[in-house]
Amino acid sequence: MVGSFILFAMLFKLPIGISLIIASIAGAFVAGEGVPIRHLVEGSFLYFDPILIIATAMIFMEVIRRSGALGSISRFIIVRMHRRPFWLLFFLTLFIMFPGMITGLSTATVLTTGAIAAPALMLLGIPHVTVAAMIAMSAILGMIAPPINVPAMIIGGGVDMPYIGFELPLMFATFPLAISFNLALGYKYVRNIQIDKMIPKLDTDYFEIYGWRLFLPLLVVIVLMLGVRIFPAVFPNLGVSLIFIIGAIIGLFCGKKMNFWHVSHSAIQEALPVIGILLGIGMFIQIMTLTGVRGLLVIGSLSLPSFWRYVSIAVMVPLFGAVSAYGSASVLGVPFLLAFLGKNEIIVGSAISLIAGLGDLMPPTALAGIFAAQVVKEKNYFKVLKVTLIPAVITALWGILMILSANFLAKFM
Amino acid sequence: MNQYKTHLMVGIISIAAAVILIIVAGKQFRQMHHDEPLFPSQFLTRTIPLSEFNKNLQDTPGDATIYCFEGNEPGGNVLIVGGTHPNEAAGFITAYLIIENLRVQQGTVYVLPRANHSAFTHNDPQEGHPQFFTIVGKTGERRFRYGSRNTNQVDQWPDPEIYLHFPSNQKLAGNETRNLNRAYPGKINGTLTERVAYAIVNFINTEHIDLAFDLHEAAPEYPVVNAIVSAGRSQELASEANIELQFEDLYYSIEPSPYNFHGLSHREWADFTGTYPILLETANPMQGRLRGKSAASLIMTGLDPMYLKAAKLGVLKVPYDNAGIPLNLRVGRHVAAIAKIVDVFSRNYPEHAIIVSGLPTHDDLITLGLGRYF
Repeated sequence: MVGSFILFAMLFKLPIGISLIIASIAGAFVAGEGVPIRHLVEGSFLYFDPILIIATAMIFMEVIRRSGALGSISRFIIVRMHRRPFWLLFFLTLFIMFPGMITGLSTATVLTTGAIAAPALMLLGIPHVTVAAMIAMSAILGMIAPPINVPAMIIGGGVDMPYIGFELPLMFATFPLAISFNLALGYKYVRNIQIDKMIPKLDTDYFEIYGWRLFLPLLVVIVLMLGVRIFPAVFPNLGVSLIFIIGAIIGLFCGKKMNFWHVSHSAIQEALPVIGILLGIGMFIQIMTLTGVRGLLVIGSLSLPSFWRYVSIAVMVPLFGAVSAYGSASVLGVPFLLAFLGKNEIIVGSAISLIAGLGDLMPPTALAGIFAAQVVKEKNYFKVLKVTLIPAVITALWGILMILSANFLAKFM
Repeated sequence: MNQYKTHLMVGIISIAAAVILIIVAGKQFRQMHHDEPLFPSQFLTRTIPLSEFNKNLQDTPGDATIYCFEGNEPGGNVLIVGGTHPNEAAGFITAYLIIENLRVQQGTVYVLPRANHSAFTHNDPQEGHPQFFTIVGKTGERRFRYGSRNTNQVDQWPDPEIYLHFPSNQKLAGNETRNLNRAYPGKINGTLTERVAYAIVNFINTEHIDLAFDLHEAAPEYPVVNAIVSAGRSQELASEANIELQFEDLYYSIEPSPYNFHGLSHREWADFTGTYPILLETANPMQGRLRGKSAASLIMTGLDPMYLKAAKLGVLKVPYDNAGIPLNLRVGRHVAAIAKIVDVFSRNYPEHAIIVSGLPTHDDLITLGLGRYF
C-alpha cells in the first residue's frame, strides 16, 4: 500500500488524495478483498464532520478577511502592544491557543485566532513561514491544553478512565512549550519595532467606518462556541460547522461588501486538496484495518524493548497521527497507556495525547501545517513543517519525559 | 474553452463515479437495516415495545422489542439486555439464544436483545468489520449482523465535539454521545440514545426488575474482561456467584462499578433504579486494536495470529492460545454466569425467586456448539 502510494504520489505526481485512494484499492486487491466499495466509502465517512468543519471554517475565514475585520484587529494589536514585545507574544500565544482549548480542534484554531494573529505577526517583521509555524504549534498545543483535550478523552475512554484531574498535567504539558516556542521563534523580530515605519503598511482601520459591528461575526462565533461549553443547559449545541456558517453570513453584512458566491467558491477551492486527503486517508486506514496491517503496526510497536518503546511512542504516535491525531490516540494511545500501567495513568494519558497532537503536523494530512501555510499565503506547507521540526521534537521529548517521571510528577498535580 | 471542456469532462466523470459508489455502497448499507428473524421458544408469553416506556421512541429506529417469559408461579423479575454494543457478538447472541430456548417456571424473565437497535444498522468506520457472520443452526445457515458500538449517525447527527453526560455533566469525547452505555439514566426527550437509555431505566422501575444483566464483550487487552461488574447492592451477589462458578472451573474477575464514571449501566441502574445491576464481559479479539485481518470468521473462532503474538508479549488480560476464544465459549460464559447469579439471587431472596430451564450449560455449548441451540 505504501509502495503504490509513493509510486502514484511521487512518480506520477497525482494528488495525494487520489494516490491514497488508489493505494487503498491496491492494498485491498492484493489482500484478496477485491474492490471493497463498502469499506472504501465507510472508511472515508469518519471524516464527514471534520470535512464540514474545514469547509465552513474556510468560508468564515475568507469572509472576515474580506470584510476588513482581520486587518483591523492586526492594526489594533500592533498599535496597542508594540512597546511590550514580550507580553505581545505571550498574550498572542494564549489568544491563538484559546479556541483549541475550548473546542479541541487545531484546524478551527488555525482558521480563527490563527488567522487573526497572522497578519499582525507578519507586519511586525516575523517571516511568514515562521508565523505559520508559530500558529501551527500554538494551535496544536491549544488543542491539547485544558479544559478540552479530545485525544486524552479518547485514550481515557479506551480504558474507562474518566476525564477528571487532567487540568494540571495538561497545563504542564502545553503552556510552557507554547510560550517558549513563540518567544524563541518570534522575539528577535519584535524586539525593536519602529512603529512610525510600520503604520503606513497597516490595513485601513475599518473599525472607524463600521464600528463594533465589524467584529460581530467573530463575537457570535466565540459566544456560540463558548456558550455551549459553559452553559450547556441553555445554549443549543449547533455544531462547529453551523456556527462558522452563521458567523460567515453575519460577516456579509458587517464590513466591506463582498460576493458570497465568490468568497465560498475560493474558500472551498483552497480546502479541496485537504478534503481529498482526508477522504483518501479514511479509505487507507479502513483497508489497513481490514487487511490486518494496522494490527501488525500496533503489535510491532508493543514488541519493542522498553527503551525502544519510548522511541516508538515518540515516532509511531505522531506518524500514525498523519491519519488524524484522534485516530492515533485511539489506535496507539490506548495500547501504549495499557503498556505503561503502574505509572500514573492521568500523566501518561496526558503525555501521549500531547505526542498524538503532533500528528496534525505529519504529512500528508498535516492539517495544522497546511492551514497555517494557507493563512500566511504560503503554497508549500513543507516549508512550514521544516520550521516546526525542532519544536515538534522538543514536544515529543517533553511528552516522553512526562511518561518517564509520571509517578514523580503526580505528587505535585 | 479547451480548459472549460476538460473541467466539464472531469466534473461529469466525478459525478458519474459518485453515483455508482452511492448505488453500490448504498445497497450494501441498506442490507443492515433488516432485523434478522428470531424464533422465540414456545414459552414466550408476550412482547412489549420499548417505546411503551418512553413515548418519544415511538416510530424511531431506537424502538426495540422486549421479549417476556412469564412463569406459572409468581416470583422475581429479571431483565437481560443484549445488543447495547452490537459489535460485541456474544452479548446479543446470548440474548438471542435465551429467547429461542428459555422456559420460565417461576417469576418473569424479560429479554431485550437489541438494546441499541439503531447501532445494529451500521459498522464503525475505519474498523474494517464485516457486516454479517453466520451460525449453522438446526435448520441451516443463519446470518446475523455485526453492528457498531454506537447509534447510527443516520439516526443521530451531528456529534457534539464534547459529550456532556446528563445529569452529571461529565465530559467525554463527542462520539460517546451515541454510546448507550454512556447515556444512562437517559433523558425522556434527549438524543435518540438518551431516549433509549431513559426507556430502559423507566422499564426497570415500572416492571420492578429485581435483577438486571447487561451483556458485553471487550478486547482481550482491556483491563475489565472476563469479568462480572457490579455496583453497590449487587457486589455481594456477584462475589457469591463467582465463588460457585470457580467450582465449575469458570473464572471471572469481580470488578466494582467506578463511582465517579457516569453513564454506565451498572453505575446508573444502581443509582436510579431499585434493581441489582450486573454487567458481564467476555473477550472478543474482533474488537481489539491488536487484531490482524478483520474476517467474519474471527467473530466465530476468536483466533487471530496477532493476538497470539500479543499473548507472548504478555499484554493480554486473558489466557490466549491456539484454541482462540470462540463464540460458543464466550456465549457459554455469559449463560453460565447468568444462570449462577439468578440461582444465587433466588436462594438469597426466595420471595423473588426465578426458576428457569431450557438453557444450555457452558459445557453443552463447548461440546455441542452454538448451532444446536439456533
